[in-house]
Amino acid sequence: MKVFINDKAIHVLPDMTVKHALIRAGLLKEIEDSKKVYDEWGNEVGLEGALSEGIKIYVR
Amino acid sequence: MKRLSIALCYTLLFLFSLSFANGEQAEIRILHVNDFHGFAEPYKPFGSNERVGGIAYLAAKVEELRKEKPSFLLSAGDMIQGNNWANLFQGESVIELMNEMRFDAMVVGNHEFDFGPEVLKKRVSEANFPVLGANVEGLKILTPYIIKELRGAKIAIIGLVTEDVPISTHPRNIPGIKFSSPMDTVEKYVKELKNKTHMIVVLSHIGHPVDRILAEKVKGIDVIVGGHSHTKVTKPVKVGDTIIVQAWEYGRALGLLDLTLKDGKIVRFEGYLEETKPKIGKEDQKVLAIVEKYKQKMDAVLNREVGEADVDLDGERGNVRKKETNLGNFIADILKDVSKADVAIINGGGIRASIKKGEIRVKEIYTALPFDNYIVAIKLTGRQIREALEHGVSGIEEEEGRFPQVSGLTFKYSPFDKRGSRVREVLVAGRPIHLEKEYIVATHDFLAVGGDGYKAFGEAIKTSRDFSVIGGMMKGKKVVYSDSGRWLRDVVVEYIKEKGRVAPKAEGRIKEIR
Repeated sequence: MKVFINDKAIHVLPDMTVKHALIRAGLLKEIEDSKKVYDEWGNEVGLEGALSEGIKIYVR
Repeated sequence: MKRLSIALCYTLLFLFSLSFANGEQAEIRILHVNDFHGFAEPYKPFGSNERVGGIAYLAAKVEELRKEKPSFLLSAGDMIQGNNWANLFQGESVIELMNEMRFDAMVVGNHEFDFGPEVLKKRVSEANFPVLGANVEGLKILTPYIIKELRGAKIAIIGLVTEDVPISTHPRNIPGIKFSSPMDTVEKYVKELKNKTHMIVVLSHIGHPVDRILAEKVKGIDVIVGGHSHTKVTKPVKVGDTIIVQAWEYGRALGLLDLTLKDGKIVRFEGYLEETKPKIGKEDQKVLAIVEKYKQKMDAVLNREVGEADVDLDGERGNVRKKETNLGNFIADILKDVSKADVAIINGGGIRASIKKGEIRVKEIYTALPFDNYIVAIKLTGRQIREALEHGVSGIEEEEGRFPQVSGLTFKYSPFDKRGSRVREVLVAGRPIHLEKEYIVATHDFLAVGGDGYKAFGEAIKTSRDFSVIGGMMKGKKVVYSDSGRWLRDVVVEYIKEKGRVAPKAEGRIKEIR
């Protein structure tokens, strides 16, 4: 499954979560340093949140 | 006097009912949670030092808000699995507190299936509220929808779960159970219910992005109360004519949606999320008593003996990060066996403690394997396996957690050579590895997505397209096993229970050479 983090394409398995996508993108450390994850509508999402094909999330 | 009060209440309810039927306004409130995952106690989220959540605090807020308006309390799924407070009782603890909180309905989430169909049936039978699943076939205990009456308004609540359940839980958990398209299902029920009710609520466990698509495509849904994506929808959003809400995760927030109905239409809505902050003295005492009761039971379960070790099981930090250990071998062997893989590779850093010779207790396994990891098996070429092993031994000087513990293969390496050129003589099942041949490699989800820098698995996932469910298990071109509903530590507990006695050895799978 392809998702986008900060507009960069990342591939994870279909049952994987936001946390997996962040690990894949090497961005989990940023969350430890108090950054948060948002969806394309500006809603914060939890690390165990389900992903769906083509979803766009942002770390800031 | 008491009889008079009861009579007065009935008269008022009758008048409310009558007034709504006569075209006057009715005000109702929906209180909602989702993706609780058994987080009964306050906790510190990853990256934060602040304690948040706590179901006893959330329950007290529910009671306070209920007094203001006629209300429903709804759950959008994934309640009974996740935290040890839930898992150690297969969700029984969660149903008990939901009964105490007087939930009106919940939809089954994908993780409600993780303990298997018999446990799910038992949990549903224990619930004092209906458990919905309109797009689930083959599980009669679930109800497609309910119709509730509040202030004279007839409200249909339809439950939908993601049709991806078969890729997020093991096939043994869903025998004979089918999941149909949420879109088609809800379309059918909206047609059936729109003339019988004043309002249609979809209790959805399909994720916020899909909720938005549902609202765009299916007309006639008034409200979607969502879950699955753990989205913090701070204010209700409107897509077409549908209001969409979702209340984050783990009981960190209680969702509130106030609706004013007139002539069968919503004429006004407003809502917000009430974040749950643990403040001593603000707990619901009855819910707190349930939380405490199961906390004490947890101690008993964690102290339970599951088997016996004939030898010390070595999980010392200074060992698992620089050499083969018997505990590393034991865990890697379990991954390989369970997923029927050719080999297994895990990171030594994932093992956090040793287990002493003698009785093995649940808590010792939980301490040794504290991370919420699950087993994944992926096809890698011999070349990719070799690259993974090179990566594994590339941080040995710093005792990096990436050091591999393996099963089904042996290899030699020289820590004196430069990083990236240390591995020698890799054998799979005693034969030299074929660099171009594909092998099934078991690991866990953390390494599978490239955790600890293991790129080989991630590359395989990237090339694994067209996932489908074959024989009840998610399969892709490269992925052959994934069981996200069962933590590795629980698999190890079950394995030891089954074996009774264990005596793994460090047997020369990884040899250091000069």
